Amino acid sequence: MSALRLISNRTSQQALSNSDYTWEYEYYEYGPVSFEGLKAHKYSIVIGFWVGLAVFVIFMFFVLTLLTKTGAPHQENTESSEKRFRMNSFVADFGRPLESERVFSRQIAEESRSLFHFCINEVEHLDKAQQSQKGPDLESNIHFQEVSRSSGTLEEDLNCLAKYNIPNFVNTEQNSSLGEGDLLILQPPRVLESKTAMQSSHRILD
Amino acid sequence: MSTEKPFNLILSAHAGQTSIPSLENITDFSLNITDCNQVVVPEEVFFTVAAAGILENLLVLVAVIRNKNLHLPMYFFICSLAISDMLGSLYKTLENIFIILCKMGYLTRRGDFEKKLDDAMDSMFILSLLGSIFSLLAIAADRYITIFYALRYHNIMTLQRALVILAIIWTFCAGSSIAIALFSHEVATVIPFTILFPLMMIFILCLYIHMFLLARSHAKKIASLPTSAVHQRTNMKGAITLTIFLGVFLCCWAPFVLHILLARFCPHNPYCACYMSIFHVNGTLIMCNAIIDPMIFAFRSPELRSTFKKMFCCARYNWNWWKLNEGEYYRSTPMQHHFAELKILTQNDTTLAGNCR
Repeated sequence: MSALRLISNRTSQQALSNSDYTWEYEYYEYGPVSFEGLKAHKYSIVIGFWVGLAVFVIFMFFVLTLLTKTGAPHQENTESSEKRFRMNSFVADFGRPLESERVFSRQIAEESRSLFHFCINEVEHLDKAQQSQKGPDLESNIHFQEVSRSSGTLEEDLNCLAKYNIPNFVNTEQNSSLGEGDLLILQPPRVLESKTAMQSSHRILD
Repeated sequence: MSTEKPFNLILSAHAGQTSIPSLENITDFSLNITDCNQVVVPEEVFFTVAAAGILENLLVLVAVIRNKNLHLPMYFFICSLAISDMLGSLYKTLENIFIILCKMGYLTRRGDFEKKLDDAMDSMFILSLLGSIFSLLAIAADRYITIFYALRYHNIMTLQRALVILAIIWTFCAGSSIAIALFSHEVATVIPFTILFPLMMIFILCLYIHMFLLARSHAKKIASLPTSAVHQRTNMKGAITLTIFLGVFLCCWAPFVLHILLARFCPHNPYCACYMSIFHVNGTLIMCNAIIDPMIFAFRSPELRSTFKKMFCCARYNWNWWKLNEGEYYRSTPMQHHFAELKILTQNDTTLAGNCR
């Protein structure tokens, strides 16, 4: 602190030649800076910094988009092995989620599981009936709502469906809190589920 | 010269904006016409931006506290980010108030009390920066665990563990911010502070890229996706989202960190002095970060948005809006929140909102 006072006392008090009500600023730790003999533009650090930052962000964006297009080949092998591992761990952990869910009693779980089967069967049925691709979201929404209205309150349906469809996936929706891609991947809650059930539930949620 | 306190610039740079000529007025610029004069941002802009940031983050906090469905680790980390953003904006507001008081003559600029206040406010600002970095790290780690350890997520990230993690983070940030503010004249504090920033950014980037690669590789495995154009569009969206996350943080905080570095290492260089003259713009950028962060983290969750809608909708029709949750209480898992942003759910939000009358 005393060194700072020394500096402040050493330099003379220079008032600006302008009026008293101008912006003055104190870098009281530093002495005066002379601006003579500059080779480059005086704002070169500012310009250089912002240009560098912009270039970095754009570079990052292009790297990410290139990853989406070409991808990392070695990642494919590791992902498949990871997925196998996750399937195995899921099978091992299958008994656990129900116990850790304190809110749902076993009764409700049984009920919702049957409801889930009902949902899936309904949607599968409707899906097979209509194979068109037009507005898949709208259709699946409509189908789902029909199904849900017939089977109970909407919340329970969403709850049951979401509860049993989740083990590993990345949300693809625009409004996702993850916000990663828009790809919804489902894995079957049981290893015994057929692949069609998975695809149909995927279509619902997509 | 070795006793320079770079963080005192924060206050002294403002404190110099006074109309009171005193013996201690020192200008470090000659009257040369090529001087880099301080770029001035009007105080009204400061106050507006700071107030907007504080209100928005407060809204996020209130929504998470009020809705029991949002008492999840994921939302607690988002709240932690909101708190650190609020602290940053609060710092700016208090600093401006302090300067106005100085201008009106209620406070001197050299008193011990003011210096202590300056130190306290500097440490609040550094706390805000460190809190932001660690909150972003916690959010990224939480999402990573959700994706890669989805089945064991309940056991890994319980509510208590999340609270413990947050307590540790904030204690560490508070301790380091006080230490940095007190010992900022040492080189040993400035260097770790400026190295921490890019290190954390790179780590968060790596986490997100790994998650991103998983999403992309799973997409390839699903045969039922209609066209490859959908691939491109959806993956492009993921790339854009990720770039926005990190780009916003980088663009808002990096200028200030560079300022600290330059103030420590080359204060007398004219180029550095010209960079330091745009300090107020850097401060405004930090406050803008406080406004943008809730938009890209908190408001992307439909549950949170529906809570807002209900808060504003029910407030008009029913003053007893504390009972928001009771009609629709269902214990949802984090998985459901993470991908509960189904179109179905967002469609039904309007019907649920309509039920609040």
